[in-house]
Amino acid sequence: MRHLSLSEKSRPYLLFPMSIILGLSIWEIGGRSMSDALLAPPSAVLLRFMEMVADGSLPLAFASSVQHMALGYALAIIVAIPLGIALGRSPSVAAACEPVINAIYAIPPVAFVPFLIVWFGLYFEGRVALVFLMCFFEILINIHQGVRNVDRGLLEAAASFDLRGIRLYRKVVIPAALPFIFTGLRVGAGRAVNAMITAELFFAAVNIGKLLKNSGNAFDTASMFSIILSVSIFGLICQETVRFAERRLLPWHHQETP
Amino acid sequence: MSTTRTWMLRLVGIGTFLLIWEIGGRILGDALFAPLSSVIKTYPEMVEEYQLFQELSISMRQLLIGYFLGCTVGVSVGTAMGRSSLIDGLLQPWVSMLFATSIAALVPLFILLFGFDLAFRVAIVFMSTVWYVLLNTYHGARGVDRQLLETARAFNATPLQTFRLVLLPALYPYILAGMRNGLAHAIRAMVIVEMYIIVGFGGIVFHTGLEVETAPLIGALVTIMVVGVLLTEVLKALGRLIAPWYERTQHA
Repeated sequence: MRHLSLSEKSRPYLLFPMSIILGLSIWEIGGRSMSDALLAPPSAVLLRFMEMVADGSLPLAFASSVQHMALGYALAIIVAIPLGIALGRSPSVAAACEPVINAIYAIPPVAFVPFLIVWFGLYFEGRVALVFLMCFFEILINIHQGVRNVDRGLLEAAASFDLRGIRLYRKVVIPAALPFIFTGLRVGAGRAVNAMITAELFFAAVNIGKLLKNSGNAFDTASMFSIILSVSIFGLICQETVRFAERRLLPWHHQETP
Repeated sequence: MSTTRTWMLRLVGIGTFLLIWEIGGRILGDALFAPLSSVIKTYPEMVEEYQLFQELSISMRQLLIGYFLGCTVGVSVGTAMGRSSLIDGLLQPWVSMLFATSIAALVPLFILLFGFDLAFRVAIVFMSTVWYVLLNTYHGARGVDRQLLETARAFNATPLQTFRLVLLPALYPYILAGMRNGLAHAIRAMVIVEMYIIVGFGGIVFHTGLEVETAPLIGALVTIMVVGVLLTEVLKALGRLIAPWYERTQHA
């Protein structure tokens, strides 16, 4: 984009802090004029957040929550990569599988919860299953697209050098599809964090979900805001971590993906 | 690959899936995974018992209110952010933050803020729709051809005219893609809310989930799947109707 001027480049450093201060001030004024049971001001949220970190309740809850999130996310990646490659490499496989995949994808994941309870129970396994379900399709779709769009020229060159089997995938297909794979992993990481808290609210309430429910029952909006914001920030950190890994591993291709 | 071959493969894929479902269901039994035949057999009963379609139509009406609010705000704020670097800078951090926020985590908070009624459900659906529409519109608005805008200025167009006659048509494919994405998330959010407070369609999913047999639950899941696919098709058809020339570009 040529028309981005210098002032526009420096814009974030000036405007973003202003935006945050402005937003927090409006929230503070609004929160103070209302009861804490309705909308706690940011000062109260920050205080509550520090209390929850100091007494260990929030870090402990996070440490347990991350377990089912990480396992579900890892399982989704393990299943999605080979399936996505198969779909991307063979138009026939894609045509046969796509309607079924799209149909299952169209069902809201949370609606599967009663099912997952029957199969996996109310606890850890059930939560892992929901995390899997919520991030699997996002990862799969991106890998499918990436492999399908591998440059034909590359494939033809590989064919003329008689590259086949595992080596074709290791040397050509996967490296060429990596940017898409990373997009899938990044979007999937965001979904996994989202699923982490969703699972704790819809199965037996534990960890962060339990903290959130309990503060809701106590009309403690300051705690609720600190929990929700911590989860959002954690989600952003997870996504940025994937982006960072992408930049390190694929320095030739760090374009901004939407 | 020819289209007939693609269609044949699709049918084979769907057929294989239904067959695996039937056989798997018979092996696992109704309590674990009801086969297709039991789902079909119990479906009319389930629809009658749970008033499925009445509940679903009430849920859908509430969904549409939140969805349209989300689209309206998303398009206007997204355009403003895309065209003004001041507004962009002021809103960007909050938009990114709210976009990353889990809808499910907001549910307990929104119950305190809005109660259990219409406002609460509309607010949750709104929150799940608006960011997708907003960000898509925003990306579209940033890339609008400068020449178009300069031409509009040369013809002394008012800001409203520029928006309606230049920006909106240029943004159209982006808005439509955002609306499609937003719709899928709106339906998800509706189910999340309704399962949490056990009302409407989500309440049916919850109650059928408590039954010993899984056939009614699967029936409910298939129903929401069909509704989702139909609504998406309606949206696509509307898009084609309003602007048939975008047929190929909206392929995102």
